[in-house]
Amino acid sequence: MSDQELGMPVEIVMVEDDEGHAQLIERNIRRAGVNNKLTAFTNGTSALSYLLGPDGQGTVHARRSLLILLDLNLPDMSGVDILTKVKANTHIKRSPVVVLTTTDDQTEIQRCYDLGANVYITKPVNYENFANAIRQLGLFLSVIQVPKNE
Amino acid sequence: MFSWIDVLPGGRGTVFLLLSAVLVLAGLVGASLWMVGDTSSRTAELGRAQRVLDSASQVLGEIRDAETGQRGYLLTLDPAYLDPYRGAATALNVRLDALEASVLPVDRPLVSKVRELAKSKTVELQLTIDLAAGGRTSEARAIVQAGRGKSIMDEIRAALLPLTDRARGRVSANLEATRSNVTFLAIATGLGAVVIVFVAGISLILSVRQIRGLEAAQAEIRSLNEGLEQRVLDRTSALTQANDEIQRFAYIVSHDLRSPLVNVMGFTSEIEAAVAPIEEHFAAPDDGKKLEGAKTALADLPDSLKFIRQATGRMDRLINAILKLAREGRRELVPEPVKLDTLLEGVIGAVQHQVAEAGAEIKLSPTYLDIVSDRIALEQVFGNLVDNAVKYLANGRPGRISLTGRRRFGKVEITVEDNGRGIAPQDLERVFELFRRAGVQDKPGEGIGLAHTRALVRRLGGNITLTSDLGAGTRFIVELPNVLEGSGVG
Repeated sequence: MSDQELGMPVEIVMVEDDEGHAQLIERNIRRAGVNNKLTAFTNGTSALSYLLGPDGQGTVHARRSLLILLDLNLPDMSGVDILTKVKANTHIKRSPVVVLTTTDDQTEIQRCYDLGANVYITKPVNYENFANAIRQLGLFLSVIQVPKNE
Repeated sequence: MFSWIDVLPGGRGTVFLLLSAVLVLAGLVGASLWMVGDTSSRTAELGRAQRVLDSASQVLGEIRDAETGQRGYLLTLDPAYLDPYRGAATALNVRLDALEASVLPVDRPLVSKVRELAKSKTVELQLTIDLAAGGRTSEARAIVQAGRGKSIMDEIRAALLPLTDRARGRVSANLEATRSNVTFLAIATGLGAVVIVFVAGISLILSVRQIRGLEAAQAEIRSLNEGLEQRVLDRTSALTQANDEIQRFAYIVSHDLRSPLVNVMGFTSEIEAAVAPIEEHFAAPDDGKKLEGAKTALADLPDSLKFIRQATGRMDRLINAILKLAREGRRELVPEPVKLDTLLEGVIGAVQHQVAEAGAEIKLSPTYLDIVSDRIALEQVFGNLVDNAVKYLANGRPGRISLTGRRRFGKVEITVEDNGRGIAPQDLERVFELFRRAGVQDKPGEGIGLAHTRALVRRLGGNITLTSDLGAGTRFIVELPNVLEGSGVG
């Protein structure tokens, strides 16, 4: 992903309650050559307050590009709540959301897509697969175009 | 409710009462029948005695009539006087026969004696009349004047006297007996009437009681039928809910255990990967680039180890929590009478220190409720709820926690209410789930308390519900049966 081409750097927002997972994800994304700014949150409340900004309207992220990595199982709320709020917000609804979670429940996956998730990845328990998946995600991130928010 | 049908003893007692009343009635009827028979024979006896009296006086009357006819003839010699004389003399025998027929066998000799006297009397009368008819009037008068006729008459009277006395005695005795029989019959009839009314009353009461019993049974069957469908629905929904919860539990447990496992495996692989550059560095130590790689790898090692340790620690805590829940689920409940006020005071006493430290206030409105339940489980349930209330008070306003209780629809309902930070509407169900918490995570906790509390309340045969206004406060309502099922108490 080229910051220069888009004019504005794409910021990756990671919402993941398990710090170990967060660490592994970050390392593998970096290994794929993605060097964008990455902001990590370990719970839904702080992630939402960052995404929506101090005014709660998301204006803080207007005309900027965000990419959200989202875990569904958070200690204080469900990732689905965050997804719903992101997709309902005027300023950040265009940000691609990658749901990255251990849940492989079909109804949950469908629900996330219905709510506007762009990619749904189940964390593999086998680490090689996990690392591969994340690296491929990194490669994927480096080629996709992330739209600018309004 | 007291009602007149409750005056009687139930079942066997009433039947016994009824049977005795019927026996008394039968006795009264028997006695009355015997009395009627007795009275009728006494009446016949009375008639016989009366006939003796009548016949005796008629015998005397006929003799007197004959004597009157004789005297009249002797004085006037008018044959017209002979007619009554002859009529009386003829009738006398008939009267004597009647007398003999009516007297008791004992008196028969007396009647024979009277008959003989009457014969001598008629002989005397006939003699004088014959003398007078033959013109020997003075001779006839002389016989009369001799007093022989009068003395016979006196003898007849004397002979009749014991007979009539006895007859009079029989008359008065039988009259007396009849009179007392009548009195007895009157009393017996009165008593019978009372007993009949009594029996009718008991029968009526029994019928009313039976009808009421039938009506009550019918009403019960009807309400049971009506309730059955609802109960099936209730049970089905309870089972469906329990099943959903088990599935959710299995899902949560597998997810929450898998999550640290990913860390263990991930960071193990990271360490493995770090070995290669370090080995390379030691194999050819002078290459500056290799040294850089080895340094980076070494720098990451403590981080990886830290995450592995954290992950295994977390797995251990989760497994312990699951074990604790499983053990709680197996613990046998021991129902005993519990005074809720005392129990809740104990629960409040345990958190008094934290409450005072937080500058909060906790208040119990006396419930005056007694239930039969498991004391330890109740202490855990309310201990958890009160702990939570104290733990999640809102910043910036003095905490107020209140405990109230009441009876409702045959159950006990205890409310634990606080003015704390509250729970968002979408998290109302989630807070009861294992390992799930809601709101700002600024307090330590594993997300087990409410899951455990709900499981306990369900085991106690109750239910726990929750209403909350985010930022204003939370209200937990615990509904418990008055008596824990299977306790054998009450």
